[in-house]
Amino acid sequence: MSLTVAARAVFVRELTLFARRKSDWANPLVFFLIVCSLFPFAIGSESEKLKLIGVGAVFVGALLAAMLTLPRLFDEDAKDGSLQHILLSREPLAALILARLAAVSVALALPLAIATPVFSLFYALPTDVALTLAVSVFIAVPTLVLIGAIASALLVSARGGAILTAVLVLPLTIPTLIFGAGAALKVLFGQSPAAELALQAAYLLFALALCPLAAAAALRISTD
Amino acid sequence: MARTEQQSNDRFAGRWFWRFASPAQFYPVAGMIEKICWGLALVLAAVGLYIGFFRAPTDATQGEVYRVIYIHVPAAWMAMIVYLAMAFWCAIGLAFGTRLSFMMSHALAPTGAIMAAVALWTGALWGRPTWGTYWVWDARLTSTLILLFLYIGYIALAAAFDDKKKGDRASALIALVGAVNVPIIYFSVQWWNTLHQGASVRPGSSSMATVMLTAMMIMTFAFWAYCVAVAMNRVRTQIIERERGAQWLGSGKGIKP
Repeated sequence: MSLTVAARAVFVRELTLFARRKSDWANPLVFFLIVCSLFPFAIGSESEKLKLIGVGAVFVGALLAAMLTLPRLFDEDAKDGSLQHILLSREPLAALILARLAAVSVALALPLAIATPVFSLFYALPTDVALTLAVSVFIAVPTLVLIGAIASALLVSARGGAILTAVLVLPLTIPTLIFGAGAALKVLFGQSPAAELALQAAYLLFALALCPLAAAAALRISTD
Repeated sequence: MARTEQQSNDRFAGRWFWRFASPAQFYPVAGMIEKICWGLALVLAAVGLYIGFFRAPTDATQGEVYRVIYIHVPAAWMAMIVYLAMAFWCAIGLAFGTRLSFMMSHALAPTGAIMAAVALWTGALWGRPTWGTYWVWDARLTSTLILLFLYIGYIALAAAFDDKKKGDRASALIALVGAVNVPIIYFSVQWWNTLHQGASVRPGSSSMATVMLTAMMIMTFAFWAYCVAVAMNRVRTQIIERERGAQWLGSGKGIKP
């Protein structure tokens, strides 16, 4: 079995699972909706105020929603034994993990990015700001998934995985948070978001290069 | 076979320090370093604080409040240096599988976290009278806060495993991931800071008086010595705890409970 066949099999299996168990991507979406609707209760309903915090609130909401699914990234596979198959495969583990994370990223980032401009309506954000925000969410979610895969892989067999994943992963997402929200803020103030989006994408590429390797090492450690 | 062993022994013999990768060999050495560093830390801190509090002049713009730098600046430096040292031992441990390296990084982590916390706390106490607020989202403050998060993540992860060896390697990996990310986070925070606010209030741009600088450098060395002493103390505890089944411990060699 060649690497491409194996990687494609892992990718398709993951997407099939998402297609059959809709709650896996629908629940984060609902969570995202609820978080976005909470902020106005806390800070008041004047649209000027909402516009200013809207970018940050929506962006953090999307990150937290994606965050929720991370602890389960490898857990179920470890329980039903399919993780062992991946570990025992002759193909490089990092490549198979990358295929898996690609599927998870697509299944999480697409719905969240599509929902972002809609939920931005809560905060009276102009259309161009909302669309920029959607793009930056679409870049941020895969970054989060890649970084989160390391923590999730380490914690397959550890106690208190969910909270610990958040503690480990969230500080490392600060760059993508800064650039992603910064891009939308630039548009809000009538400037070009190109620099921020480029830097955010650069961080994604950096994570793309290193995280699968680190996650593979992490899986080897935790399933040792 | 015997000959190969002999050869490899010869090869190792030239590098005497490899001997100290063994917890049994390192235990008494750590005790010695600890005693020396405690002595150094106490003497240097006494001298440094005396110069800082009684010899150094009052600052022209900030008054007496500035004297917190004799604690604040060394703590902030140590928070960064200890993280580097910790990540270094994690890398060595992952590469060579040496038990003592992981013990070293576990021994360093709480000290580094405390240094970061002390730097933030004293910074807040200094900021209140000087900037008028306990906290500003200054790039340096923010990066120190994130450094504290990384320390906490490392410590929490190491504690999450029942299997100590697994916890060692898992937390070492996360420490390295953090070390790779620290510069990126630092520069992105600086970028963000310049985006959102103008130049934040800075202490007077005049260069420091020599007396002040002397006191601060002495205090920095005192903090170095303190960190080493505490880390050595903790590494000895780790060794006793982890090697409790080992024969050299049972014989009582070098152990003073």
